[in-house]
Amino acid sequence: MMAMRLSTALAAAFLTAFATAPDALAAPSATAVSPTSGPAASIPKRPEEIAFEPLAFEPPDARTFRRTLPDGTVVYLAPAHELPLVTVSITFRGGSSLDPADAPGLASMMARMIREGGTVARKPAAFDEELDFLATEVGVAATDTFTTATMNCLKSNLEESLGLFVEMLRSPGFDGDRLATNKARLHEGLKQRNDDAATIIGREWKRLLYGPEHFEGAEPTAAMVEAIDRNRLAALHRRIVHPGNAIVAVSGDFEEPQMLAKLSKAFDGWERGEPVPPPAAPTAVLAPGLYHVPKEIPQGKVLIGCRGITRDDPDAIPLLLLNEILGAGGFTSRLMQKVRSNEGLAYSVRSAVQPKVDYPGDFKAGFESKNATVALATKIVLDEVRAVRDDLVTEDELDTAKKSVIETFPRQFESKPQMLRVFVNDEWTERPADYWKTFREKVAAVTREDLRRVARKHLDPQTMAILVVGDWDEIAKGDLQGRATMNEFFGGEVKHLPLRDPLTLEPLAEAKAAK
Amino acid sequence: MPRPVLSRVVLAAVSAVALAGSAQAQKVDVEEFTLPNGMQFLLVPRDDQPNVVSAGWVAKVGSVNERPGITGISHFFEHMMFKGTDTIGTREPERDSKYRVEQKAVRDEINRLVWTRQYDRYFKGEIDDPWNPANDTQELRVLRARLDSLIKAQQGRGDGGPQAGTIIKDEFDQVYTKAGGSGMNAFTTYDLTCYFITVPANKLELWAWMESDRLSDSVFREFYSERDVVHEERRLRTESTPTGKFEEQFDAMFWASSGYSWPVIGWPSDLNSYTFEQAQDYWNIYYRPGNLVGILVGDFDPARAKRLITNYFSRLEPGKTPPPPVVTLEVEQLAEQRMNASGEFPPAVEIRYHTVPAGHVDSYPLDMLAEILNDRTGRLFRGMVEGRGIAATAQAVSDTRKYAGMFSVSAQARGAATPEQLEAAWQEELAALQKDDVPERELRKVKNRVAAQNYRKLEGNMSLFVQLAFAETILDWREINEAPAKYEAVTAADIRRVAATYFKETNRSVAAYRRAD
Repeated sequence: MMAMRLSTALAAAFLTAFATAPDALAAPSATAVSPTSGPAASIPKRPEEIAFEPLAFEPPDARTFRRTLPDGTVVYLAPAHELPLVTVSITFRGGSSLDPADAPGLASMMARMIREGGTVARKPAAFDEELDFLATEVGVAATDTFTTATMNCLKSNLEESLGLFVEMLRSPGFDGDRLATNKARLHEGLKQRNDDAATIIGREWKRLLYGPEHFEGAEPTAAMVEAIDRNRLAALHRRIVHPGNAIVAVSGDFEEPQMLAKLSKAFDGWERGEPVPPPAAPTAVLAPGLYHVPKEIPQGKVLIGCRGITRDDPDAIPLLLLNEILGAGGFTSRLMQKVRSNEGLAYSVRSAVQPKVDYPGDFKAGFESKNATVALATKIVLDEVRAVRDDLVTEDELDTAKKSVIETFPRQFESKPQMLRVFVNDEWTERPADYWKTFREKVAAVTREDLRRVARKHLDPQTMAILVVGDWDEIAKGDLQGRATMNEFFGGEVKHLPLRDPLTLEPLAEAKAAK
Repeated sequence: MPRPVLSRVVLAAVSAVALAGSAQAQKVDVEEFTLPNGMQFLLVPRDDQPNVVSAGWVAKVGSVNERPGITGISHFFEHMMFKGTDTIGTREPERDSKYRVEQKAVRDEINRLVWTRQYDRYFKGEIDDPWNPANDTQELRVLRARLDSLIKAQQGRGDGGPQAGTIIKDEFDQVYTKAGGSGMNAFTTYDLTCYFITVPANKLELWAWMESDRLSDSVFREFYSERDVVHEERRLRTESTPTGKFEEQFDAMFWASSGYSWPVIGWPSDLNSYTFEQAQDYWNIYYRPGNLVGILVGDFDPARAKRLITNYFSRLEPGKTPPPPVVTLEVEQLAEQRMNASGEFPPAVEIRYHTVPAGHVDSYPLDMLAEILNDRTGRLFRGMVEGRGIAATAQAVSDTRKYAGMFSVSAQARGAATPEQLEAAWQEELAALQKDDVPERELRKVKNRVAAQNYRKLEGNMSLFVQLAFAETILDWREINEAPAKYEAVTAADIRRVAATYFKETNRSVAAYRRAD
């Protein structure tokens, strides 16, 4: 195909978006006459002089799209007739959160094997061949707290495609040969655990934050993968995949009555089990400090952060705005300006507040910088965290953050599948019914004092961990000009974490011992 | 806001022969016009996603248009285009310009000294890297400190304090952010450079203002300090990833004479060396309206959009020098080439063949051949992952670019399998493709999938935007409407013919990857 592989393209910015934002509240910023019908001479001197027509947006009401099947299963329907495609997505509660302690990754393997293991009536190769011939795409994936199955087909073969999709969910084959292949493929993946610094830092961060006992921080050993068998997959499948634990969403080219009839038929006689309860909170507590994992690369990878808040925390919206100003707002954010734009110390630098529904998530800032300037960039990031605790942000910064969040708010509901994802997630997680309706007002009401208050409460450098993956001998001494060394953080006391054997996860002997 | 009543994506049945009834093709209705200054526009109004427009433009220039000495300059331009104009990014254009002139004088002198003395010391083995400041002579240290203080002063962080500063940092981004723009970004490839954003439907005029401003008046602010950012980008993508450096070397080995041999991000020495004059020349040739295509996809009224575009983009001055043709053709490969790499990665193999550019009559069967090999029911999975059980993953890519193409098969080993075994397995799969016609049902399946994929690619404004950008730069935007019929027409004999024509030993390059002990 024409070279549309964006993986080979280089993007100007690596922005960690925290999508949430708005619209109707934004006031037109000036009074100049719009030149759209005028002569070419009428180009305003500055963009602030352009007047914009109002753009009204009311968030869609989930109830308008919500239906119930005869067996009680909730279905959201959003027809759209532009393209002859239909997407059916079924979200089940429970994902990696249900992994047993001795089998991290079980839910992921279950999801993969539902898709790839054929059905009771069809061998995997035959099942895959049927779907591919119909040009129907089916995927099953387990995330932390959900397992989602999605089917996208041409309208012309909806009947057959839906039939295969539901057959797969109701009576998966968990074929033994496919399971052996997938275990072997996963085993190859485990071997690569220490190849890329990005993999290492992701693993160690979760371990520090949630502990290796909690599913968020747990990783399987090769022996655990080997021990996965058909019975364990089937048991987990019985617990997760049934109508008593499902919400269905359908978008695309269909008519409502026919779709409801098709779904009712497909779900007919499918036993409703018990819904899966929410996951348990981790018991581990992050120990603040400076941590290092060895890796010989010319650029250190750094994460700085702490445990954060839950999604429904009253501080969530002020913290969202603060994060925009600090490091999530792209080039406009402070971290991007100071670390990248002013100093040229990193290509990508960002912060993220990731609240979780059932227990506090995390706050983290991260960047990659050449070994010599890891310390300097770390210092700048921490200085910026301190600055939002010590001082009020400027009026202009808060105004920009609010406008951005408010003006981009409609994008949450931009496409039909995306809108339905919001509805399904909200229903599963019992989001307050007026949340979206009042969201923009709540954003608009936030003050600079609110931001300082939440910064002081939730972003304390003393409680944070600094995790560095890289070549410590090069990193520790700092930059040529002597602007910063790693001794400045936590008194220079560094805890050297070992690289772990990729198959057993036991500490590797050649790793630097803790000093 | 007026909105088109009917969906503008018209669906037309092109063929009804498919067993699955899927081999139809979409017809995207594009409104096309060209301003007197030469800038072309493609408009696709659609109301599937209300209230937003995906907007942007493409410069028909990429790394293939470069030459040794300025490799990576197309990508560097992509960074420069966010640095503002005499209106955006400063309130004191004259004083700001003075800083830039002073910086240029110092940097020119630094470059002269490095290219002569430091390179000389490097060639004699006295220093390990002519560009590393740790190896600077006293004279260079002074100059570098001078440049650094000029940059800081311009930013308001120097000895003169904030008052001395003239830059309003990242104002370009701030204006869009305040207005609800999202996903603002750009990318550079071998053949093109593309700039895009999603704006609320009522902010189309802001888009026209901002883009026509930067296209008429970019001043290359931070022309020197931005190099550090790009070096970090290079370290991130190429130097600190397990296989990044090796992939770059394999590219350089595979392409002998073509401009595809150097990386899009450029060689490090060139990245340090670009001069202001070279950047200006590049701008005058490749960033003039005759070489640009603007594209809008989303919720807008085309008549009003056309008025806005005409009003704003007519201020771009036509170029005086048309872009020179890319004349260097890839020479024929005469003997097999091999690269043996070891490092922190799993055993794997990549086998490449020179093929044809996009739009070549053989590009369609080659694309179909890749489809026959790929995915869960493809021959690589069945033959190498499951059948022989020697691969963890395996895939094929037909990568056809503007001036040349390649076909690549890669596989990662499973268990104790070696790169040699993976390569041998591919040779067996290839022999079958060269000997026997692909069975009718297998070809039909692949055609059904390609046809359905053509619809899926239209879901989402940004997806359609990117397709139009590539199609228009490399061939013609109409290709997105015409390609489905060309794929439908591919026969089993075509596939056997291209397998025999291109997949020859002398046309082959192999990279074998092994885990270092």
